[in-house]
Amino acid sequence: MPPGGYFGRALVVDVGDGGSTTLPLEGAVLRATIGGVGLGTYLLSQLAPAGVDPLAPEAPLAFVFSPLVGTPLTTSAKFAVVAKSPLTDRINDALASSHFAIAGKLTGHDAIVVRGASEEPSALIVDGAGARMVAAGDLWGLPAAEAEARLREQLGPAYRVAAIGPAGERLVRYATISHDGRHAGRGGLGAVMGAKRLKAVAVRAATRCPVADPGAVLAASKDLRARSFGPATEKYRDLGTLANLLSFNALSALPGHNFGTETTTLLLEDRAAVRDSCASCSIGCERIMTTRDGRSARVEYESAFALGPLVGIDDPEEVLLASARCDELGLDTISTGGTIAWAMEAGVADWLRFGDANALLRAIELIGAREGVGDLLAEGSRLASDRFGREDLAMHVKGLELPGYEPRTLHSMALGLAVNSRGADHNRSGAYEADLSGELNRLEGGPAHVAAAIETEDRAAAMDSLIFCKFLRGVFDGPWEEWATLLSSVTGWEIDGGELHDTARGIVAAKHAFNRREGWTREEDTLPDRLLDVPLVLPSGREAALSRERLEAMVDDYYRMRGVDLSVHEHNPAEQPWP
Amino acid sequence: MPAGIVLAGGRSSRMGTPKAWLDWHGSPLLRRTCGVVARGVSGPVVVVRAPGQELPKLPDGVRVVEDAREGQGPLQGLLAGLEATDGELAFAASTDMPFLHPRFVAAVCAAAEGADAAVPHLGGFRQPLAAAYRTALAPLVGELVDADRMKPAFLFERCETRWLDALPHPESVRNLNAREDYEAAHAEPEPTVRVRCFGPLRRPAQDVRAATLGAAAAAVGVALDAHVLAAINGDQIARDPLEPLAEGDEVAFMAADAGG
Repeated sequence: MPPGGYFGRALVVDVGDGGSTTLPLEGAVLRATIGGVGLGTYLLSQLAPAGVDPLAPEAPLAFVFSPLVGTPLTTSAKFAVVAKSPLTDRINDALASSHFAIAGKLTGHDAIVVRGASEEPSALIVDGAGARMVAAGDLWGLPAAEAEARLREQLGPAYRVAAIGPAGERLVRYATISHDGRHAGRGGLGAVMGAKRLKAVAVRAATRCPVADPGAVLAASKDLRARSFGPATEKYRDLGTLANLLSFNALSALPGHNFGTETTTLLLEDRAAVRDSCASCSIGCERIMTTRDGRSARVEYESAFALGPLVGIDDPEEVLLASARCDELGLDTISTGGTIAWAMEAGVADWLRFGDANALLRAIELIGAREGVGDLLAEGSRLASDRFGREDLAMHVKGLELPGYEPRTLHSMALGLAVNSRGADHNRSGAYEADLSGELNRLEGGPAHVAAAIETEDRAAAMDSLIFCKFLRGVFDGPWEEWATLLSSVTGWEIDGGELHDTARGIVAAKHAFNRREGWTREEDTLPDRLLDVPLVLPSGREAALSRERLEAMVDDYYRMRGVDLSVHEHNPAEQPWP
Repeated sequence: MPAGIVLAGGRSSRMGTPKAWLDWHGSPLLRRTCGVVARGVSGPVVVVRAPGQELPKLPDGVRVVEDAREGQGPLQGLLAGLEATDGELAFAASTDMPFLHPRFVAAVCAAAEGADAAVPHLGGFRQPLAAAYRTALAPLVGELVDADRMKPAFLFERCETRWLDALPHPESVRNLNAREDYEAAHAEPEPTVRVRCFGPLRRPAQDVRAATLGAAAAAVGVALDAHVLAAINGDQIARDPLEPLAEGDEVAFMAADAGG
């Protein structure tokens, strides 16, 4: 019997021939990886050939569930998509939410892994009858949402669908995988799916998944739900993440103009919006707005940042249009905005300039179609600047474009962005929490900032594996013990906070180990030159600088505190934390 | 990055009560001076007190050292501060400067580039306790103290001193010696600051009179609790209600949870 909350197996499907196998997942493996990002990292490490091209047929793409999925615990209906990124050539784990997570798990698997490549556009169906491939030529070219709707019309409403848009089909290196209007957004996993000519994965619940102590889980769910209505989530319930725009602006933490920075007057939070939430979520952070041409735009902070201030646009109408179009094409808004911002500053095309909304929309269309300059921009800022020049203006880490957190005024976050295994990422680090706590000097990074960044990275690894939404984090007074108690109630394991923390550390280490196997070097853990060489002048008059020496010292401290021996350059399989 | 030195060890004999403890619109005066100096220098702050002198609660990170000999004048205290300070430059202030402005502090420090000392010369008076000094001056200051040459003028004779007669917020140098000085100063309006609130706290921007962060929060009806953070002029995160505000400051209040 598998532990509560698990099926103890992953489904591995070859989308080339439609064949499938079941990969047993022993209890010890599940305990060491939990689920979500942790289990996905394990599966990728086991199934991906070393050095594999992320867009090659043999590259695996894993949809990974977790022990909490399907329980009434708020915000737990999430799934991780894990693969080697075509944007970074490193591990990538992207999360998305809602009913696909529940239906996918209740197909009877802790994960669904696809390998191979279909000759024709196709869709994978997994339900009580097992796994099968169906032709999807009629869906090819459609936005993900339309493909999802059409497939559900064909199969029935009990099926839940994750799909790619035209950008994924055309192998844009930052294409997304979408479900129910939400996106596994970062790192180009939609291109991995597109390379397999896999338009969609449709799942239908076929079984149940008992938990070890249903009474305890139910009681904890009620308690957590009540706490989720408290002050720690007020921002998300009231305005959603859009509230960050003007707040970060006031904190000198909102980047603009490709991190050359200008302040913004972009105001989206006051627009009429429909509030929405993922399945099993009591917070409801989502804001759906209407564009001037009547389309729906699910807009949040990072999209507004990347398609607004980052490219010099303050007009909310234009930002909404750009965000809606990225969603239709299946483009990661952060990398889209980041790459276009690079192109605007680098002078890639005469018509592409900061502040020109028409140019922004035109560039998005060209990227989605991979036409003209869009074919270059579809490669992301790192590869595009390698080819065009002006690498100095490409604002990425490991190829992943930076999110909307200014590293020069958030030194813990600067480290988090530099060392993260998937590149410049705010969701796997979260070190901005330390910077904005007021307990550290956010402009003078040092050992305390390193320790804080490690702690937030560990917590993110745990939350992304359990899986809980990060927006719930403020309601936990003692997160490690509370999470361990919840996991124990679901699985029946006797886990304490210390073991869970060790497990989280192991997951972080496993991601690093995968990257090391794929050729990672210490030199990758840095930030773009602009952030290290050019200080910001704050409204107070003070210069905020993040020097190369300071960042290097923090990175060295990070690996020292992590216990990683950087003098060992070769990947050592014995370092794997897995049983 | 300059450091700050605040001399708290004076006898306050004309004031009749310890200046460090004087109330300044809800904050002990020494707390205010330390906060303003910290904002102006961006570096660590050292308070020099008399042996055994009781001080009000100071912000985390402020270091307290003792004057070797009490009542020997400013050079004695300056020596203790310079010897306790890392870095190359330090702004030295007396406790009793309620109108000290962070931009004044920053401007004095900036003007010290290439000099041993940068000293305001305003209204016909030299201001050695609102001035910036190279920490390398410590041996010379020690030599003067040993020779019982306790006036700052003796120091200025022996080092490269830059006199500053045009500085922002010159009211910074106004100090309080007697009770009536304090009462007159305290009767003046508190600084005007602009308060902006974001996210769930959003409301129209307001100009309010407030000498501390807590007063600014109260003026606009914000409860400064664990779920709220503030930033002053886009700089450091502030959450201490006693954080001092100065004329023209912009204060932003927002939700403490920044995820997104």
